Amino acid sequence: MPPIIDSSECTACGRCVEICAEDVFYGSKKGEIPIVTYPRECVHCSCCVYECPVGAIRVRIPLPAMTVYKPTQEKSQ
Amino acid sequence: MEEQMVETDVLCIGGGIAGLMAAIRASELGAKVVVAEKGHALHSGRGRDGNDHFETYIPEVHGIDRAAFIEELLRTAKGEVSLSHEIFRAQFAKAFDIVKLWDSWGIPMKYKGKWEFAGHSFPGRAMTHIKYSGHMQKKVLIQQAIDRGVEIMNRVMGFELLRDGDGIIGALAAHTREDKVIVFRAKAVILATGKCSRLYPSLTPGWMFNDPHGGGVTGDGRAMAYRVGAQLHNVEMPQRHIGPKYFPKFGQATWVGVLKDAQGKPVGTFAPKPDRKYGDMIMEVNKLVCEQYTQSGKGPVYMDCTDMTDEDYEYMMYWMVQEGNISLLDHMKEEGIDIRRHPIEFATYPLRFGGLIVANAGAETNLKGLYAAGDEAFGDISAAATFGWIGGENAARYAKEIEAPDVERHRATIEEKKISLDRLRGRQEGPDWEEANIALQQVMYDYAGSVRNKALLQQGLSHLQRLKKKIDTTMIARNPHELAHCLEVLNMFELGELVFIMALDRKETRSLHVRPDYPFTNPLLDQAHIIQTMDGKPVIQWKPF
Repeated sequence: MPPIIDSSECTACGRCVEICAEDVFYGSKKGEIPIVTYPRECVHCSCCVYECPVGAIRVRIPLPAMTVYKPTQEKSQ
Repeated sequence: MEEQMVETDVLCIGGGIAGLMAAIRASELGAKVVVAEKGHALHSGRGRDGNDHFETYIPEVHGIDRAAFIEELLRTAKGEVSLSHEIFRAQFAKAFDIVKLWDSWGIPMKYKGKWEFAGHSFPGRAMTHIKYSGHMQKKVLIQQAIDRGVEIMNRVMGFELLRDGDGIIGALAAHTREDKVIVFRAKAVILATGKCSRLYPSLTPGWMFNDPHGGGVTGDGRAMAYRVGAQLHNVEMPQRHIGPKYFPKFGQATWVGVLKDAQGKPVGTFAPKPDRKYGDMIMEVNKLVCEQYTQSGKGPVYMDCTDMTDEDYEYMMYWMVQEGNISLLDHMKEEGIDIRRHPIEFATYPLRFGGLIVANAGAETNLKGLYAAGDEAFGDISAAATFGWIGGENAARYAKEIEAPDVERHRATIEEKKISLDRLRGRQEGPDWEEANIALQQVMYDYAGSVRNKALLQQGLSHLQRLKKKIDTTMIARNPHELAHCLEVLNMFELGELVFIMALDRKETRSLHVRPDYPFTNPLLDQAHIIQTMDGKPVIQWKPF
């Protein structure tokens, strides 16, 4: 569920908790690795990914939100 | 429930483009300003992750006749809302000043040293939108606000206005992380709470936050304004948008491609091949095109960029980032989707609430001390920036003229509201906000959806009112985060009810308000359809634009 925090990389700086507009990290404690309390409220804007100073966050796009595309087209066609 | 009192001259509710611009301008004119933002101002509102189009008149480009530019805009109307000429005149008298201001603040408004006009315009007609690099715009605007002494209170959701006589004297807000009510004593309030994303189901009904606005905008400003007697219009007129299927994002004019059917035939006539200057205007002429193709057995419809040049690809990728679509690009990359090889399916996005607060060209409402800007009353980034600025200016001037209001006279109202929050927090069992929101979405979709009639609307209204009565006494909030969602849902129930009332009253078919029992557009109703509460009852009037 988005976002996913790599606890081996996370420094618990709290930047993602501070800036997430949807507050999906609600209830996270200062100085601890954030918890994703409300993953279904993530709008996958990826602002936490880009704000994380050590690159410890990735966002997993939920299956229902996957982009639909036409797989077969080649440029030469 | 703990209480905190905050005194200010000007309170901006919502920290998006309009709210921040209002705050910056009001503060510049010497007012003490607070911005109450229910999320975090760095990523909130329609400009949350960026924008790349700004509608503006530029004398050196369009010629000195501003009126001719406005006429051209109206002739090729692509706007989302019906606004008066007076509003357009005010916007385009100021928009270019804002463009230059933003550029000086560090939001790059030129591309490679020049004004770059592209998108949102028909081939052969006047170009109306410049491309700008807005990816970091919120950061810049926040810094400008802080530099002028504005206090930004994040995680603070304004939910009720305080009215005294014919004016507004403050507002109540709930903290979204603590059990705390904030009482704002304010000489002027600017509402800038943005669109409303969760009244109707999303493109992915099981994931209601999967919306191009994000899931956090819920029409709070319109609901609280209505409750204290401000006028709303356009309430029953839904809006649609168009974009990538299942990963809903704004930026239709950022795509350099052609909308095509499955056989590769363009669905419109405006773009035979990818064109970075014009995009494909079929998406602005008919936002229903994807839905219509699907329903008539001709779908799916794709955004086909496969014929684009390498230069156009680089160009489009740059602007996608500026528009705030970086997560979509990351997702496509991760999935091995390459727009140079793969047409992307586009969808018509579901209905959304289109109601606005009635505000004049000064962003003033019918109540003294109450202003509205941004998607709350106008629409698009240029209008948000411009009327935010104008509203901030007028609010600061008004605040200078009046004495500090006495909110203690309204202590009984404040206590009553606090008790209602305590009840939500105190209940152990009952529907939570999500259950209530789903019930609301389903009644809106089924009874005030894309086709309406008297019987459907009456049935939907009575069911909605039944649900509303139930949640008033049973809804639960397990923590302050959920409490804020409950307040959002209560606001949306209020707005949903108004949609039904106004849709019943609009006895015609017009745009996306489709009533087979009144199948024609009545030219006599080419007016603003306004609703406001008087003595606790909704009063409707028609008024020329």
